[in-house]
Amino acid sequence: MSDKKYPEVQTGEVLLKVEELSQHFGPLKAVDKVSFDIKKGEVFGLVGESGCGKTTTGRTIIKLYNPTGGNVYFKGQRIGAGLLGYKEAIKSANAQAKEEVAALEADSKANPDKKAENDKTIAEINAKLKETISENKKAMARAKRENANVDRDLVTQIQMIFQDPVASLNPRMTVREIIAEGMVIKGIKDKKYIDEQVYDVLDKVGLVREHAGRYPHEFSGGQKQRIGIARSVVMRPEMIIADEPVSALDVSVQAQVINLLNELREELGLTILFIAHDLSVVKYFSDRIGVMYFGKMVELADSDELFRNPMHPYTRSLLSAIPLPDPNYEKTRQRITYAPLRDHDYSVEKPSFREVVPGHFVLCSDSEEKKYRESVEG
Amino acid sequence: MANNILEVKNLKISFRTNSGTVKAVRNISFNLQKGETLAIVGESGSGKSVTSKAILGILAGNSIVEGGEILYDGRDLLKITEEEMCKIRGDKISMIFQDPLSSLDPIVKIGKQITEAMLLKNKTNRKRARAEFNTTLRYLKEAMLASAARTDKSEDQIAEMIKTFDDFNILAIRLENSYNAARAYAEELKAQLENFLYMAEKKQKLDVKRDLGEYIQTLGRVKDDFLTAGYDAQLASTIATLERCRSGYKAPIGKDGKPQTYVLSAELTEALKDLVENLLTEILERPQPNFFRIGYYVYKNPNVVLDKRDINALNEMAVKYLDETYMAEFIKYETMAIRYSAEKSLECKKKVLDELAKARDYFLNTPRIEKGATKEVVAALCKVVESSIDRLEYNKDNIAYTFSSSLKTAANKYFTYEKLNPKEERRYARQSAKREALIARGKKIDWKVVPKNVYDLEDLRDDCVSVIDRLERKYKADIENFESRDFDKNAVGLIDYLKAHASEVVYKITKRMAKEKAIKLMEEVGIPEPRTRYNQYPFEFSGGMRQRIVIAIALVANPDILICDEPTTALDVTIQSQILELINKIKKERQLSIIFITHDLGVVANMADRIGVMYAGKIVEYGTSEDIFYSPAHPYTWALLSSMPDLDTNEKLEAIPGTPPNMIYPPVGDAFAERNKYALKVDFEVQPPMFKISETHSAATWLLHPDAPKVDMPKIIKERIARMNEKGGNEDV
Repeated sequence: MSDKKYPEVQTGEVLLKVEELSQHFGPLKAVDKVSFDIKKGEVFGLVGESGCGKTTTGRTIIKLYNPTGGNVYFKGQRIGAGLLGYKEAIKSANAQAKEEVAALEADSKANPDKKAENDKTIAEINAKLKETISENKKAMARAKRENANVDRDLVTQIQMIFQDPVASLNPRMTVREIIAEGMVIKGIKDKKYIDEQVYDVLDKVGLVREHAGRYPHEFSGGQKQRIGIARSVVMRPEMIIADEPVSALDVSVQAQVINLLNELREELGLTILFIAHDLSVVKYFSDRIGVMYFGKMVELADSDELFRNPMHPYTRSLLSAIPLPDPNYEKTRQRITYAPLRDHDYSVEKPSFREVVPGHFVLCSDSEEKKYRESVEG
Repeated sequence: MANNILEVKNLKISFRTNSGTVKAVRNISFNLQKGETLAIVGESGSGKSVTSKAILGILAGNSIVEGGEILYDGRDLLKITEEEMCKIRGDKISMIFQDPLSSLDPIVKIGKQITEAMLLKNKTNRKRARAEFNTTLRYLKEAMLASAARTDKSEDQIAEMIKTFDDFNILAIRLENSYNAARAYAEELKAQLENFLYMAEKKQKLDVKRDLGEYIQTLGRVKDDFLTAGYDAQLASTIATLERCRSGYKAPIGKDGKPQTYVLSAELTEALKDLVENLLTEILERPQPNFFRIGYYVYKNPNVVLDKRDINALNEMAVKYLDETYMAEFIKYETMAIRYSAEKSLECKKKVLDELAKARDYFLNTPRIEKGATKEVVAALCKVVESSIDRLEYNKDNIAYTFSSSLKTAANKYFTYEKLNPKEERRYARQSAKREALIARGKKIDWKVVPKNVYDLEDLRDDCVSVIDRLERKYKADIENFESRDFDKNAVGLIDYLKAHASEVVYKITKRMAKEKAIKLMEEVGIPEPRTRYNQYPFEFSGGMRQRIVIAIALVANPDILICDEPTTALDVTIQSQILELINKIKKERQLSIIFITHDLGVVANMADRIGVMYAGKIVEYGTSEDIFYSPAHPYTWALLSSMPDLDTNEKLEAIPGTPPNMIYPPVGDAFAERNKYALKVDFEVQPPMFKISETHSAATWLLHPDAPKVDMPKIIKERIARMNEKGGNEDV
C-alpha cells in the first residue's frame, strides 16, 4: 500500500525519511503518525515538552523499539516498518464489506426477485475482501521479516547520544571499553586498531589518551558527555541522534559540548537529529525544526522561519516561554497559553499536516490554513 | 535593616575528604529581604548548593562549618539544636530540590507523601503555637501586673482580662475556620461546575453520574451559619433538583450508536447554570464577617441568636461592642505594659553597655587569655545580656538573641585553634620537608602538600570583640531611638502577633482536609487529573510531573523562605516558565522570600530581584538583576553570559575553557584567573576585594581597581546588551 501512496525516496538528498510513524504503548499513543525527512548534512531539531514523544521518535528510528505503524527509510532502504497501517486497512475493508453485504441482504429480503443477483454481488465482495486481507497479511509478513533482518551495517550508521551522561555510561567499564564496545560487537578483534581508533576519537572530542584507562566516575559531567559523543562518533556514523545531549549540563559546559558537536559536524559531515527542549539552543544549532505536541508533529519549518513566523498556537506558546537574559523584557513577558480545546475547533473539519508556505508545514484544518496564509501575506 | 529576614555572615564551610579538606564555601555574606528573590548563580561545584543546605542544616556528615552565622528569627541556625532546627526546617524554610527522582520516596504513594508532612507538622505546630502564645501572654501578664501596680486595677482583674483575650480569640478563630472551609468548598465547586459546563459545551466525553454525585456532596458541605445565612432553602432545593436529574440521567444515543455523554437535559443545564451564576456567586460576594470582633460578642453573649443575614450591620455592631466594653481598655493596659517592659529593658541595656566595655577591655588588653577566666567572663556577660532582652518585642532582635551563642562559639574557636595551630604547623613542615627531600633525590612527585589550615589567633580574638561591638552598636542605637518609639503601634502589632498564633492553635487538619488541600495544591502546580494521580506512585510520573510534586510538597507548610535548588533544570521550557510563574505567584501571594539557585542566567532574569554570582566558594559579583545583566563587571559573569545562546546568536559560543579549580588547593589569587583571558598578573597573586561599583552593585575583580588597564567586555555580550537596550528604548517610545 505504501508504495503507491508515497513517492519513491529521493536518494542522495534525503538521508532519513520517516513516514506516518506511530509508536503506541497500549492505549497511549506516544507517537502518532509523524512524518518528516532529514537531508544529508543538516541538523534537524525536534522540540516539544516532556512526554510529547520526541525521545520515543528518536528511539524508534534507531530501532530501540519496533514501530507500531509507519515506515522509516534510511538511505532509501526500509529499516523499520510498523503493522498498524495494514491492520487498519484490513479492519476498514472488513467493515466496508460487512456494510455492503448487509445492505444487499436487506435488499434481497425486500425484493426476493433480485436475490440471485445480489448473492452474486455478495460473493464478489467477499472474494475481493479475502484478496485484500491476504495482500495485507503478506505485506505484514514481509514487514515483520524486514524488521527482524535489518541490514546491521546500515543501522550502525545511525548512532545515538543519550541525555544523561551519568546513566548512559556503564560504571564498571573503562572509557576504552565503553568506546570500543561497538567495534567489538561488530567483530573487530585487532586490539591495536581498536586502541588507535579510541585514541583518535578521544583526541577529536577534546579528551586525552590517558583518559582511556579511567572509569566514568572520575570525570565531570561535561567530560562524561564527551565520552558519550566519542562512543557514537567512533562507529563513523552518517547520522547521529542526539537526545537532549546538553540539558543535564551546566551552562558553561553546554557551550563546550555544543561547540564540539558543531566542529564534529563540519569535520565528519554528520547529519544530526537534535532532540531538545531548550529552544535557544535548538535555534542556535538546527537548520530545520519540528515541533511536537502529544505525539503529533504540529509544525515544521526552517529554524529562522519558525521563529520569525510561528503559526500553530502551540508553537507560539512555546516561543513565548523562552527565558532570555534580559530582566526588563522578562518582567513584561506575557506567556501565551495553549489549550487545544479553546484554540481549535476540530468537531467539523479534521486537521491534517500541510504545507502552508513552501517549506513550512503546520497541522491545521482548512479554515485555519486560510487564516495562517492570510497572516503571512498580511 | 529591619526587613532582613535572613542574614548570612562570613560563612565558611569545608568538607573533610580522604585527599584533604575541600573548601566549599569561602567567606560569603548576603542578606535576604522579606518578599524578595535572591538568585545565586554559578557552575556546579561553586558551593551554591552547600550554602543552601547549610541554611537548612542538612549538610553532609563530613562537613565542617568553619565560621560565620546564619541569622533567622532571632536565632543563629548554625548553632541551634536539632530539635529547634526541626521546627524551622520545612516549616519556615522549605526547599525544592534539584533532582525530583531522588527527593521522592519510590514506594510511597504521591498523596501520602504530600499529606504526610502536613499532618505531622500540623500536630506539632498546634502544640508549639499554643506554647508560644502562652509564653507571650505570660510575659504580657507579668508586665501588665507590674505596671498595674501604679493603677487602680487589681491582680485578678488583670488576670481576667488576659483570660478573656485568650478565650475569645480562640473562639473567633474557630468560627472563622468553619467559615473558611465552607467558602473554600463553594469556590472549588464553582470552578468545577464552570469547567463541567464548558466541557459539555465543547462536546467532550463526560461521566455525568459520577460528577454530579461529587458536586452534590460538595454542595452539601457549603454550609456555614455566616456564609449561607438566608440561602438554606435555595441550597436545599438545588440539591433536590440535582439529585433528581442524577437518578433519572441516561445519556442519549447518537447517530454512530455511541452514547453522547455531553448532552445534558434542559433542566439540569438550567439548574447548574443557576447554581454557578446566581447562587454561588451571590454567596461568595457577600461581605466577610469580622470574626475577631464577632467572636468577642459571641463569647460574651453565648445565648443571643445573631441575625447573620446582614453581615455589614453585624460587623458594625460587633466593632462597637468590642471597643466599648473591652478593647479600648485592654489596649490601654497593654500599651502600659509594653512601655513598662521596654523601659525596664532600657535600663538593663544601659547596664549592659558598661559590662560590654569591660569585656572588650578584657579581650583586647589581656596579654594571654586563659580558658577558665574567659569562660567566666563570657558566662557573666551572657547572663546580663539575656536579662536585658525585651520579651514583649515581637520583632525579634537577632543580635541580642544570638549574642550568647555567637560569643561562646567565637571564644571556643580561639581556644581550639590555640591548641590545633602548632600541630598543623608541624604537619605542614614535615610534609614539605619530605617533598623537598624527594625532589632533591630526583624523584618525580605527583602530589602536593595539603595547605596548612591555621588561623591567626589575633584575628580570632578580634572576632570575639566584633561580636561585642555589634551588640554595643545595636544597644546604643536602641537607647537613642527610645524616645521616638510608638507604643500604640507596638500594642496593635502585639495583638496581631497573638492573633496569628491563636489561629495556628486552632487550625486542625484532618486527613480528609489534607487530601483536599493536597489535591488543590497538585492542581495549582499543574498536575492534570489530580484525583487519580493522588493514588499513584512516583514512577508513574514523568520528570516534569515529579518536580511539580516536589514543589507541591515544599509549599504544603506555607513557609517564609523557599530555597529553590535548580528547580527547573530538569524541565522543559513551557513547564519551566509555568513553574517559574507559579513560584512568582506564590511569592506574591504569601509574601515569600526566595533563594533561587541555578546555573541558568536566563531563568534568573525573570525571577530575581538581586543576584549573587558564585565561583569557587566565593561571591564574585553581587547586584540587582539589572546590574548583572546590563552592566556585568566580573569576567566570570561575562563568561557565563557569553556561553549561552539567545535567539539572535549566530556566531560561535564562547565556552569557558577548562574546569573549576580543585578546592582542596584553593588558588592564592583570584580563583577564576586560570580560565580567564582577561586575567592580570596580580590576579594570580592576591585575591581581589569586593569593589563597589554602585550602591547595589559590587564585584571582586582587579579590573575595577583604578590602576587596572581598561578592558572591554566580550563582543558577544556587548552586542546583546546593545540589542536589549534598543528593544527597551523602542518600547519607551
